[in-house]
Amino acid sequence: MCGIVGYIGERQAQPILLNCLGRLEYRGYDSCGIAVLSSGIEVYKDAIRVEALAKVAPQLGGTVGVGHTRWATHGEPSQLNAHPHCDCSGNIAVVHNGVVTNSQSLKKQLTSEGHNFVSETDTEAIPHLIEKYYDGNLEEAVEAALRDVDGSYAIIVLAAGEPRLVAARKDSPLIIGIGDRENFIASDVPAILDYTNRVIYLEDGDIGVITKDNIKVRRNGTEVDRKEHEILWSIEDAQKGGYEHFMLKEIHEQPRVIRDTLGEWVSIGEPAVDLAVMMRTGLEALLLLACGTSYHAALIGKYIVEELVGIPVRVELASEFNYSGQTLVKTGAIVITQSGETADTLKAVKRLKEVGCQVLAITNVVGSTASRIADQTVYTRAGPEICVAATKSFIAQLMVLYWLVMSYSKAEARRLASLLTELRHLPSKVQQVLDNEDTILECANYLSRYENMLFIGRGINFPVALEGALKLKEISYIHAEGYAAGELKHGPFALLGGDTPVVAILAHDNTYEAMLTNIKEVKARKSPLVALAEEGDEAIGELADFVITVPRVDAIFSPVVNSVALQLLAYYIAKQRDCPIDFPRNLAKSVTVE
Amino acid sequence: MKQAVILAAGEGQRLRPFTVNKPKVMLSIAGKPILQYVVESLAQNSIRHIVLIVGYRKEQVFDYIGSGQQFGVDITYITQEKQLGTAHALAQAKAITENEFLVLSGDNLIEPDAIAQFVAIKPNAMLVKRVDNPARYGAVTIDNGMVKNIVEKPKEAKSNIINTGIYAFTKEILSFIEPELDIPDALNNMLAQGYPVTAVETDGTWLDVIYPWDILTLNDAVIRQIPASLGGTIETGVSLKGLLSVGKDTVVRSNSYIVGPVVIGNSCDMGPNVCILPATSIGNNVVISPFTEIKNSVIGDDVNIGPGCIIQESVVDKGCVIEGHFTACSGQAEVKVDDEYHLVNVGAMLSEGCRLGNSVVAQPGVIVGNYSQVSALKLISGRLPDRSLVV
Repeated sequence: MCGIVGYIGERQAQPILLNCLGRLEYRGYDSCGIAVLSSGIEVYKDAIRVEALAKVAPQLGGTVGVGHTRWATHGEPSQLNAHPHCDCSGNIAVVHNGVVTNSQSLKKQLTSEGHNFVSETDTEAIPHLIEKYYDGNLEEAVEAALRDVDGSYAIIVLAAGEPRLVAARKDSPLIIGIGDRENFIASDVPAILDYTNRVIYLEDGDIGVITKDNIKVRRNGTEVDRKEHEILWSIEDAQKGGYEHFMLKEIHEQPRVIRDTLGEWVSIGEPAVDLAVMMRTGLEALLLLACGTSYHAALIGKYIVEELVGIPVRVELASEFNYSGQTLVKTGAIVITQSGETADTLKAVKRLKEVGCQVLAITNVVGSTASRIADQTVYTRAGPEICVAATKSFIAQLMVLYWLVMSYSKAEARRLASLLTELRHLPSKVQQVLDNEDTILECANYLSRYENMLFIGRGINFPVALEGALKLKEISYIHAEGYAAGELKHGPFALLGGDTPVVAILAHDNTYEAMLTNIKEVKARKSPLVALAEEGDEAIGELADFVITVPRVDAIFSPVVNSVALQLLAYYIAKQRDCPIDFPRNLAKSVTVE
Repeated sequence: MKQAVILAAGEGQRLRPFTVNKPKVMLSIAGKPILQYVVESLAQNSIRHIVLIVGYRKEQVFDYIGSGQQFGVDITYITQEKQLGTAHALAQAKAITENEFLVLSGDNLIEPDAIAQFVAIKPNAMLVKRVDNPARYGAVTIDNGMVKNIVEKPKEAKSNIINTGIYAFTKEILSFIEPELDIPDALNNMLAQGYPVTAVETDGTWLDVIYPWDILTLNDAVIRQIPASLGGTIETGVSLKGLLSVGKDTVVRSNSYIVGPVVIGNSCDMGPNVCILPATSIGNNVVISPFTEIKNSVIGDDVNIGPGCIIQESVVDKGCVIEGHFTACSGQAEVKVDDEYHLVNVGAMLSEGCRLGNSVVAQPGVIVGNYSQVSALKLISGRLPDRSLVV
């Protein structure tokens, strides 16, 4: 999604803004631009990558400026639609992340008042509104303008003759980075980690006025105090360090991510959340809510909770949940969001809170909006994830789910003890999958020539099939679908044939025999078959055209090793097809619009 | 000198099965890989531009060293696709070497003081060291402080001064490389053409791992220099003596007895009632169950050791699961590597992911291949290949 940055200090703003924008690239974008304050405001923007902009942009002299990466929602990617946007005079520049829902009526009214619009964006209404209210006090003008704006926004405003930046947010993330005689503003933390690790999180409705040595935050006209946080991520975590892609780096970090979660588990024991509160009514039903890859983690969570806690679980897509008028669960809900800023998920949380539901958030970003509006938060220990396709954050989410569920499990002590021993082992099992890279690479070369693919699984590995297909389509652009193996006969069978390979995910649980039957059915339709199977599985060797073996684990942990193998498979297929793996077309890392 | 090239592409075949999944430079000694010692020694001598030549299992290096930021250095990676020798490896860096640079081997453990003087030397120069047994190395003949020639693995060594594989070069060396595969060959060519090469002797720590049991020797040699630290939770009734480093999130349970020097990683669960004796290194996320004694051993990450085990002078690599009453006592053993027999004092050497049932007894000197499985009550000895099943 769009990313915004601002700088004010004693150094030249342009190189700093460009560097910060580079760090925001992972959010996904199609255009970018900067504005720097000198005697007036100079703007340079285009529908190009940040790296290209850095090469072609003229030197804009000045120590105050704003920058933007745009992910098109209103209007195609073009130079005109790129941010920053200015008012009629060119004395006010605005960068914006979010959606102004009443932009059409604002535009109509402002045009009738004589304002001249040049782009198709919703954003352009904001600088014109500020121009309308500006009479020498930028802060008040921004406040007045925002009163007219409906929708979501994180904005930074720059005005000629004003040596300060004004920032505001509502339903879109925004942080302020505190430096030494300089300050930064950005959509998220990685953008500014090169310069500082001290940040302030703005809240909805906050307006910040930032000069080089002062930060003032106001809300409804009165000044408020916002706590300073220290970020423990290092910029190291956000660099490729030898790997060709962030995705491969993040895949290889997974054993460590698991180990870190386990460490917290060992030293703390039970998670530092009070699940008992959520269970106050006996928790006869639990709701899991998420979007995208996190939704697949939630689906796996359903199997874990049902097996180890024994209560029914409902899993919902947050984006759908918001548009159904069904009965809301009033007992407990767990929402899962990597960024903590996913617009649909946040909306769902607010809705649940209104009816008195206890909400637990699982997120990767300390201080994110989700962590602030949920009743309780458990953080995943994944560190910053840069690749748009989620890998380590997914595994970290699963680890937190295992932790939560096993801490409150009513399963037999003997079963839990053996699961705990297995869990300790998971990092080296995952490492074993990574060490088997050569086989996976070979399989990827075999599959990369196809344009359609099906992933099938049963039971706890059905969501793994969904996730495997999602990874593949998002980074390799191959059309892939995840299916419950038993559902193939109800339609997708019509697609089978020599040019539609099927990837079957097996686990040694009660689904195994049924999976073998499904695989035979698929083979009878001549589809090339790749099987993901445990080592020592001899039956599958005779059925499949290609077998990727994974180490043996308890079936309840099989999603972990299987997902990692499928991540590598998707990665190598995309690499074989020369795709821009870390930044796939049209996609954004955190989806901050509905 | 501002730049250093570290050669880290090799597998280390004589160290198999320990190098099946990782390059030799990533063997862990006293809680950190050998390569980290080299990088840190350079950083402490203010050499911060490092070119790392990687190849075999390079992801392990990327994953651990990253961009070098956490070690205060700036790392550029170059991949040597085929491991054709050290000179070929160095030639890969041709495009980015400065006029003068150091060359080091990533699989020799060095302490900062070993290269403190050498980093200021004017190239071309070679760091040499006196050792007891030069037969494994390149023996160097020196005359008046200048290198005369290098003889690789001499049958009868004329000197006990050996080449440490640490050099200071000017770009000239690169023109001697093309036809040759190893740096000493290129150097001999250079010497033959009359180029002067200074010899600098060091008495600092410089250690080599050639065979699996060298892991224990190295561990013993450097574990005394670790900085003491006590992270995690130490329950009441635990006795701690000597130099200790315990990582974060680790729990040491009641009545355990730990005598340093001992390194314990992060997220471990130790005890109650375990006895860890010098000089033992334990990785991250390791579980050691009650009544187990571990002495002078190296235990990798994610290892699970059951109750009542005796583990002496042993190497237990990543991800092994050892059930109760495993006995690996130290003793003299003849171990065969590449058709050569070596007489060593050692316990058991288990590589990654082995599973041992209850009450397995290991004969001294046993080497167990990766992912092997041994049933309960078995006696294991000799050399078991990868994925062995002992039933």
